[in-house]
Amino acid sequence: MVVDGFFVAGTVVCLVSTVLCVGAAILRQPPNDVTILAVAAVELFLLVYLVAGIIRQAGGDPVAGEVWEFWGYLLTALLIPVGAFWWAILERSRWSNLVLGAVGATIFVMLFRMEQIWHGVVPA
Amino acid sequence: MTRRSEAGRTAREVDGSGVAEALSRGPGRLLIAVYGVFALAATARAVFQIATKFSEAPLAYTLTAIAALVYVFATVSLSRSGPRWFWLSFAAVGLEFIGVLAVGTLSIVDPVLFPADTVWSVYGRGYGFVPLILPVLGLWWLYRHRAVARVS
Repeated sequence: MVVDGFFVAGTVVCLVSTVLCVGAAILRQPPNDVTILAVAAVELFLLVYLVAGIIRQAGGDPVAGEVWEFWGYLLTALLIPVGAFWWAILERSRWSNLVLGAVGATIFVMLFRMEQIWHGVVPA
Repeated sequence: MTRRSEAGRTAREVDGSGVAEALSRGPGRLLIAVYGVFALAATARAVFQIATKFSEAPLAYTLTAIAALVYVFATVSLSRSGPRWFWLSFAAVGLEFIGVLAVGTLSIVDPVLFPADTVWSVYGRGYGFVPLILPVLGLWWLYRHRAVARVS
């Protein structure tokens, strides 16, 4: 597993986002500015990762694994924070913050797999 | 604000489980969100496997596709209200539970049958055993809301 800057940055963003959302849920808070911004930060990271991916792909540092598997993961990942936000704000309860907290955890797993595909690591 | 909603919840509980509360409220929202993630993951995986390497392990990849359908259906049915959707959810989650137990056991007893991993191999080990825990939580959640089944 090659650990690069994207992986480190993404892991930090996902971890902080999940901790904030789960913390708010434990404090019995409904979704608020902090937890919504925490999920927005995950989406922002994915957008940066998308732009960087396009630049790397075009600039001679292409995906080592299956190209369309990588882009499939990334485009799906981009929809997850948006979908979770929509699902969470329909009910203002602390459980909605756990839905938002699931975003960071899910995106982390997907980022892990995307990094494997990018660097051509075959999963065990 | 928070206190009021807690009080409301208690009032409903005092009322007994006779009140048909939507399955998609409270903890149900998280349950459905996790089902949604698995629906997405299993569908993407099934499409990828069947499109690129179906002949390598037809049984395993067909099972992934079936698992994907079950997750998609459960996500939709759990988020709907009424007795009809309750029983359809029960069927979907029950099928999911039987599936993960059967495939999990078979993949350990007869690994040759499953040369490639599925979502349900070794009770969902590749997915942190969430595929094993999820139907248990789903069935428990449905049982808690069994009053929904009686409302016509």
